[in-house]
Amino acid sequence: MKQASAARADVKEQAEALFNQYRNPFGTFTLGSQTHQAVTIPDAVRRCRWISIDLNASGFGLFFVSPSPERARLVACFDSDYPSVSVTTKFMSGADGEEIVRHTRVSTEPRWWCDDGVNGSGDVFRKLAWTTEIEPLAPGTSGIAFPVHAERGQCGLAVFFGSEIILPQDQLYEIHARCFSLFSAIALIRPVDAGRVKTISKRELECLKLTANGYTSEAIARLLKLSVHTANQYLTQCAQKLNAVSRTQAVAKALRLGLIE
Amino acid sequence: MNASAALLANNPSDGPAARLSSRGDLTGFFMDLCAGIGADSYMLVAIVHDQAKNDARIVSSNWIFDAIELTGKRLIAGLAQSMLTAAPGIRPQPLLASQAPDADGLVTGEEARLLDVLGHAEIYSLRLNVGRQRLFVLFSAAAAGSIDMTELMKAQLKCCYALSQIPQLLAQASMQDPLSDRERECLFWVSEGKTTDEVAVILGVSSNTVNSYITHAIQKFSASNRAMAIATAIRSGII
Repeated sequence: MKQASAARADVKEQAEALFNQYRNPFGTFTLGSQTHQAVTIPDAVRRCRWISIDLNASGFGLFFVSPSPERARLVACFDSDYPSVSVTTKFMSGADGEEIVRHTRVSTEPRWWCDDGVNGSGDVFRKLAWTTEIEPLAPGTSGIAFPVHAERGQCGLAVFFGSEIILPQDQLYEIHARCFSLFSAIALIRPVDAGRVKTISKRELECLKLTANGYTSEAIARLLKLSVHTANQYLTQCAQKLNAVSRTQAVAKALRLGLIE
Repeated sequence: MNASAALLANNPSDGPAARLSSRGDLTGFFMDLCAGIGADSYMLVAIVHDQAKNDARIVSSNWIFDAIELTGKRLIAGLAQSMLTAAPGIRPQPLLASQAPDADGLVTGEEARLLDVLGHAEIYSLRLNVGRQRLFVLFSAAAAGSIDMTELMKAQLKCCYALSQIPQLLAQASMQDPLSDRERECLFWVSEGKTTDEVAVILGVSSNTVNSYITHAIQKFSASNRAMAIATAIRSGII
């Protein structure tokens, strides 16, 4: 009897440890866990909801920001209405988000706004160091936006709304850190092409890697002791498998997907 | 009281922090941070991709001259980009000089002893994201275990915030992104598989102009062709 309850306590402890591990990166996250964190969107939504609860926010949204100078738009990934899409999110992805997009590309400082006429959240935000006010991202709301960046240069924005947000200065760092680790997990699933890429052979990757390092087909052929024709064929196959139109794009895609370093 | 002194007096963890505006402010900020987390020294490093090699460019540091000279740029670049380098939100792991990870052969026994003698018994390597720019900071202590982990994780975000306030200074010091906006745009579209003519249409300029932008970009990266220029730009997170 005693043994059984001890075993149950054990199980409970393990479950709690696991729960806390996902909940709080400051507590238990260690290196290597990065690769097997949230791997599905519903998982990511759950983790985002925990952050939102700790902030006492009433809604949240996660957006992608294109790193190129074109397309000054926020691209929605999910929000608190997942699997449907909230009106606020629709507004934000439709609106011209040039100011916040530009900010996200050059800075990591959080930005907040207060446009709900209650000032509850606004008073909290005003006390925070390292952040300043911007134009409302959505009219009639208050909220705070955290720029986040992942391993391969992906940019994103984690946004939390609400009139009664609680955010002491000390918590700001922790919340932002959690947004970072959440986004890097999402960035790993995000490349839609990743799952669909056909297996690229070692030889083909070798050729692609040399191309990225500035070698011409002739030089690759000499180095790998192939005919120029074969080297070209490998590169063409690479481009096809990566669904790229040129070898230059193939190099870019392979780098972004992490197939070559 | 000048700005730097104001910054030193003002603990960034409570109350609005003074804004950084000069190199002096940056040094003051890092010295302050070191004291807060129990570290003895710091080094802010930008990694520059050059000819498919990684080169470390030291932006700011209070390492003594001999330590930098004896450790060498190659090892510093290795430390900054090691397997144990923590991104924001990941719990950092120390690179203990006395028991360094030999799995990836980063630090030899000789180098570990050297680092220990130079006052870097324990080193933490953290990745910093300042917008698209990526930098690395090494915090180290002469005695292992004196760095406070929770404070260190907060410090990582503070570094990101503080460096966000001085983008021009950072760009100058690290020279990570030598491209003009137009050149960057051209390279981006080429990396998306567009031909010169297509890029010309997209940007509304002539194809000669596009070619000249790309040629400039290739020259700036000292690359040998387009593919290499694009690879360099992606590796350094510019596009």
